[in-house]
Amino acid sequence: MRQLFSFVLLSLVSLSSFFVSASAAAADYHEQLVLRPLPLSALLASFNFRSNTSLSEFEAHNFRFFPRSLGQILQHAGTQELHLRFSLGRWDSESWGARPWDGAREGGTGVELWAWLQAATDEEADHKWLTLTNALSGLFCASLNFIDGTRTTRPVMSFQPEGDHLNTTAVDTHLLYGVLPHEVVCTENLTPFLKLLPCKGKAGIATLLDGHKLFDASWQSMAIDVRPICPAGGECVLQIELTIDMVLDIDRSKRPRDNPIPRPPPGHELPCNTSKPYHSHDTCFPTDHQANQDWTLSQIFGRTMKGTCPLTDPTVPPVCLQVPNSRSVYHSDGVLEKKNLDRVSRCFEIKPDVNFEIVLPTPDDESAVLVKPETPLLYAERSFTGHGQERGGVQTILRNPSPDTEVEFIYMESLPWFMRVYLHTMSARLQGQSAKDDALIKEVYYRPAVDRARGTQLEVRMRVPPASTVFLTYDFEKSILRYTEYPPDANRGFDVAAAVITILSPAAYNLRTTSLLCSLPTPDFSMPYNVIIFTSTAIALAFGGMFNILVRRFVAADEGPEVGLAVLKKRIKERVGALVEKIKKDKGQKIPYEARNKSGKANDSGVETEVIKE
Amino acid sequence: MPPNITTLNTTRARTYVFRLPLFTRVVIIAIIAFWIAGLQSVVDVQQWGALIPAEMGIATLYRMNTFPFIHLNIWHAILNILALTPLMERFEAEHGTLSCLALFFGPLTTIPALLYVGLEKFIFGGNVAVMGASMWVFLLLGMEAVRTYKANPSFVIGTYSIPTWTTPIALLFATAVLVPSSSFLGHAAGLVVGYGAGLGYVKFLAPPEKILRWIEGKLNLLGRLPHYVSIDQKTYGRFGVLPSSNGALSSSPGVALGLVGSTQRLARYTMGWDGMMGGSYVNLELGVGASDSTALESFLHAADGTAVKMPRLLSSALALRRDPRILKIPPYLSLLCILVGAVWLFLLPLNEYSRRTYISENALLPGQVHTYFGGSDQNVLRAYKQEVNSLVGKSNVEINDKLESIVKGLGLKTARQNFTYNAAGRTYAGENLYAILQAPRGDATEAIVLVAAWENVKHEVNKNGIPLVLTLARYFKRWSLWSKDIIILLSPDSIAGPQAWVDAYHDAHDSSRVASLPIKSGALQGAIAIDYVQEQRFKSVHIVYDGVNGQLPNLDLINSVVNIAGGQMGMGVALQEMWNHNDKYPDRLRTMLRGMLKQGLGLASGPHSSFIPYHVDAVTLQPFGEGWQDEMAMGRVVEGTFRSLNNLLEHLHQSFFFYLLMHRERFVSIGTYLPSAMLVAANFTIMAIFLWMKSGQPDEVPAASTPESSDKETPTPPTAERDLLLPLAVVTLSGSLSAIPLYVFNHVSESALTPLFYLFLIINTLLPIAISTTSSQLFSPTAQQYHLIKSFSLLLLGMFLSSLATLNFSLAMLIGLLSAPLSFVKPSSSPVARIIGFVLLNLTSPPAVLLASAAIWGLNVGDILREAAVAWHVTGTYSAVVVWCVWWPAWLAGCVCVLGRPEEQEGKVKKA
Repeated sequence: MRQLFSFVLLSLVSLSSFFVSASAAAADYHEQLVLRPLPLSALLASFNFRSNTSLSEFEAHNFRFFPRSLGQILQHAGTQELHLRFSLGRWDSESWGARPWDGAREGGTGVELWAWLQAATDEEADHKWLTLTNALSGLFCASLNFIDGTRTTRPVMSFQPEGDHLNTTAVDTHLLYGVLPHEVVCTENLTPFLKLLPCKGKAGIATLLDGHKLFDASWQSMAIDVRPICPAGGECVLQIELTIDMVLDIDRSKRPRDNPIPRPPPGHELPCNTSKPYHSHDTCFPTDHQANQDWTLSQIFGRTMKGTCPLTDPTVPPVCLQVPNSRSVYHSDGVLEKKNLDRVSRCFEIKPDVNFEIVLPTPDDESAVLVKPETPLLYAERSFTGHGQERGGVQTILRNPSPDTEVEFIYMESLPWFMRVYLHTMSARLQGQSAKDDALIKEVYYRPAVDRARGTQLEVRMRVPPASTVFLTYDFEKSILRYTEYPPDANRGFDVAAAVITILSPAAYNLRTTSLLCSLPTPDFSMPYNVIIFTSTAIALAFGGMFNILVRRFVAADEGPEVGLAVLKKRIKERVGALVEKIKKDKGQKIPYEARNKSGKANDSGVETEVIKE
Repeated sequence: MPPNITTLNTTRARTYVFRLPLFTRVVIIAIIAFWIAGLQSVVDVQQWGALIPAEMGIATLYRMNTFPFIHLNIWHAILNILALTPLMERFEAEHGTLSCLALFFGPLTTIPALLYVGLEKFIFGGNVAVMGASMWVFLLLGMEAVRTYKANPSFVIGTYSIPTWTTPIALLFATAVLVPSSSFLGHAAGLVVGYGAGLGYVKFLAPPEKILRWIEGKLNLLGRLPHYVSIDQKTYGRFGVLPSSNGALSSSPGVALGLVGSTQRLARYTMGWDGMMGGSYVNLELGVGASDSTALESFLHAADGTAVKMPRLLSSALALRRDPRILKIPPYLSLLCILVGAVWLFLLPLNEYSRRTYISENALLPGQVHTYFGGSDQNVLRAYKQEVNSLVGKSNVEINDKLESIVKGLGLKTARQNFTYNAAGRTYAGENLYAILQAPRGDATEAIVLVAAWENVKHEVNKNGIPLVLTLARYFKRWSLWSKDIIILLSPDSIAGPQAWVDAYHDAHDSSRVASLPIKSGALQGAIAIDYVQEQRFKSVHIVYDGVNGQLPNLDLINSVVNIAGGQMGMGVALQEMWNHNDKYPDRLRTMLRGMLKQGLGLASGPHSSFIPYHVDAVTLQPFGEGWQDEMAMGRVVEGTFRSLNNLLEHLHQSFFFYLLMHRERFVSIGTYLPSAMLVAANFTIMAIFLWMKSGQPDEVPAASTPESSDKETPTPPTAERDLLLPLAVVTLSGSLSAIPLYVFNHVSESALTPLFYLFLIINTLLPIAISTTSSQLFSPTAQQYHLIKSFSLLLLGMFLSSLATLNFSLAMLIGLLSAPLSFVKPSSSPVARIIGFVLLNLTSPPAVLLASAAIWGLNVGDILREAAVAWHVTGTYSAVVVWCVWWPAWLAGCVCVLGRPEEQEGKVKKA
């Protein structure tokens, strides 16, 4: 009966997609996987897990879908809203187009964390931030505790709270932002992530999350967002959203796990352009860039999906696939395929205990293989200019592809303190112009670095005119660190965190540049130590002994005090002689007890004088 | 009064050497003689005389006495002599020469020897041969230690009181640890006997004094032998005399006492001595500081009145400074510097002076990975080769269009870059095509570059290299393990294209000539260029590694390629076009000299050269020879190298950046080879200082002094006034004239270069004559002024060359050797000598050397000059600056000196 009811509901719901999102807010937990094939045989897999808990329950420590471990940390650190990102690789927007979620669910390479903390003073906020980073560090097995004062900034323009905060608390709410560009995200971060899910990766779409596949992705981003949401007239809820986006290389993912080496395929399996005049059995112009349009879910993720999570909102289809509706897709039994009205996506309703599998065969029609990627609002590329160990420059190329819309955005850099920015050199110019254009930069917020205490924070509100490219450049000086401040791999260079670009108009959109590697002047650590220590030792031992003997002045033996066996023998003889004499004296005259001490003394002195006479 | 102490100490050392007693001298001479005897290879002196336990027998007992004189090598001998001399000298001074002779040819040598043989043979069962005087050193040290112990039982370190007799034991262990192949047992045997002798247990073995005295008296040894120490002189001959009566020996009592803390009594004397001498020291300093002869003389007279003899030493030191013989030394010294510098270079290929290469950066792990490039990739390569062959002869843009379509098809991001260079009236323009293979999981912070130029430096089409790079790009795309982006650079030529690209990558380009790069990646960590022209199968790989201006890639990169190509792939590796290398001295030397010549010229030798100035380590790989290796093998070498570079966690920094390679597995590092260039450069500085001193001396000096009079306190001659204006003007003129050839040869069109060169050759010959004639007519310079001209120009030359040696050793060495004759030219009064000197100097002039080298290598002078101009404009080679602004002015000043006719009066004095 219940199945029938849900089936009816499902079919009703899936007719319109916004109906889905409207009902989602009401439900306590839902999860969804969106698969979107991208050009150059890539596949974007976007996992989204969202659960709500009412604020009153949360404050009463009554956790159901909200992970307790995280909830307690948030309560302890007075966190109002939290955003945590683990990212690896880079999004190739030239080929893949606009970012998933409009860039709102991704961070720069490494780990990024920003949170709104409730605190009366800045010091209290710093203290809570320290608590938060250290606790999260333990929870996610990441070096978040290394987000210290030098890596923490307080952005002014870039980040806006996503949740609904009550006005009363907004005054004493502090936004802190920290980033670890060198942190390598790997499986040890995925495991705690999965533990936060109600189904723990045992059922539902989370069963597809395999560390091997996730971290073999060309780009991946794991995000945790916690925010309070107060619907109009309803009770405030605390929402936690866990998102994993990854771009898989279909060719690479299809390789069997026990033989991942890309050995050249046998000659006859090579896809060749047979129209070439020189084509023969041993000459082959490859056409493999068009290949790999066919795949199955189990090939890509290494396993099939094990049913659905029983806790999930049944109204939300767990898997959606964004391919043109004309393309044929096969799926396993017990699955209901629903093509959406937008003609480029379809969703799959899955029964709870069915192993879900989809198969995309090689398409017949080459033109209808992919949904054409959406052009992003802005392309950004950042690189270092200059060479040498003294100075450098940073150049960010910002390109607006739109033919008619101006893009306005906030460009934020949080730079390490050892990059001393020359702010007066910061300039923006349009491509094709040599002079700088002051109208491009509208507002600058700059908080200079303090050596070893805090980094540079630079926020620039600027605009890029339609169909043009802007070069934003500034110079910096490289400081010389103290030798204890160098990491063990000093010659690798120092990672500089990605710049955060928050687009304000025409639409909200976020993007990050790639991180940079800044090489600082590095001393040769080992050589001076080896040389100095070894030569000093040799000189001290060899030269010291020689010099001592060379300059020492000796005197004749009879001039100095005598030492040696003979002297010792003589001394002993004297002592024995004195003792014998004393005993003789004692025996010779018996004196009363009172006078004994006195005479003993006299005896002693008598002996001494005798010896001296000898 | 530190200056006085240092002055006196050198004197003290000198007198010390001159006063060494007889037996010590004999021992030193014997050690040296045995070392010299050991140089020949006919008789193995070491085998003959060493103390070898197994060889001991009645007939070979002589070994027990010969072994201390025989040493392993010169260092062993020198160290032992240094250690032995003071000890032996003291022993002899105390005991007399005769007893010393008796003891050291008797018990003090044989007892430790027997002890050692007994221990080694019967207890340890070994057969380690020992030789060298170090056993004596320890024996004497032991004796000294016991005596020190008697006077001064312990010294205090921290709170520990350590008995002084233990010091030789510490030294014994230190020697065993620090000195390689030192015989611990032998030293210990010596030390034990030394302790015994010090405690007097060996005294019974000493020859009776009466007999010795009788021998001495009968033979009148004291009268006949120099430096003989008599039996009667012993002990009191040296140590019994107190400082007040012998100034020379107590010249630095403060030092002696301060360091070893002798007895109180002596310290008291010292105090008195210091107090007494305080006033005199002040005078002394004044006298030395002002170099004023009258002050010094008055001091000497005042000092004569006292019983103090010390100033005599000082005056002898001063006299030594003024000694005309001292001024005779520098020319020989500077000649010696040149000779040693040149010979040094030729010693480097020997096994003793060069080292085997080794991988210093452990992260590289060269040759540790399986390479999978092959199989059906060869089909792809053949197809790409067909494509490339169809492009031969087409324009740069057409080629790039086709190649770009192929690379784009592989899924790489491509971009192009235009560049235009103007040099020697020609335009070097083109368009670079490059593609970035983004590391699948990377973050764009680092990149490695794979370069294939369409044409190599000899303008042959890279027919195999380009297809190979395309195939490799396709192959690399399949791997997900790259930690760094891979940039494929396809440039139209081997020099200008890569240079423009690297400049633009680091934003160091002139944007009017070279376009900026539209897409970029991270910091470049390394680059490999493929120059694969050969059509048939190859035998070995030739590594080209010279960068612009003699800069070199990190040795680890070369070692990795050698390891991968030679070790893993089993193909040979050649360097510096030495196609057959037998690893013997001549081949090593040739490889090294070829490398030095290339580095000295500073030209770009391949597409990799432009990367090296930006601290990006790069090499070019060229397959050569006829063998059975195909393109796939070459591809696997590149794959292996890229996998190694991919492993790098840090920028290549571990290994050497300054080295000379003489074989693929043998090199010398900068510490070993730098002294040779520094010595050559130092010769100029020595001569400059010498000429400066000489110019300050009046001309009577050579006549006035004779060797006999040097001991007397001669009155100091007055200093001559130096006339600096003319010399400075000539040196400045020659320096500023150098801008003209530098500019002209770099900015004239190609066709005008050859005629201009010959014109310059003529002007170059006439210019010194013109300057010389003009100056002698206008200013009639004196000999002193010629000395100063030469002094200044040599000073500059020495300065420039010694600093250049640290940047480009080979260039400094080449220029240094070519300008070596400038040290020895001097103005002459005879016209014949002048002409000969001038002709000889002209043979070593910069243009003449250029002409000669063009003739030797069969090149056209115009081509050489064009290449130099291109190098100047495109790659920024600074060799031209060194030639025209360092060498040529020095040569010009030298020529002016040679042609100089000092004023007549000088000539007369010289004759007299």
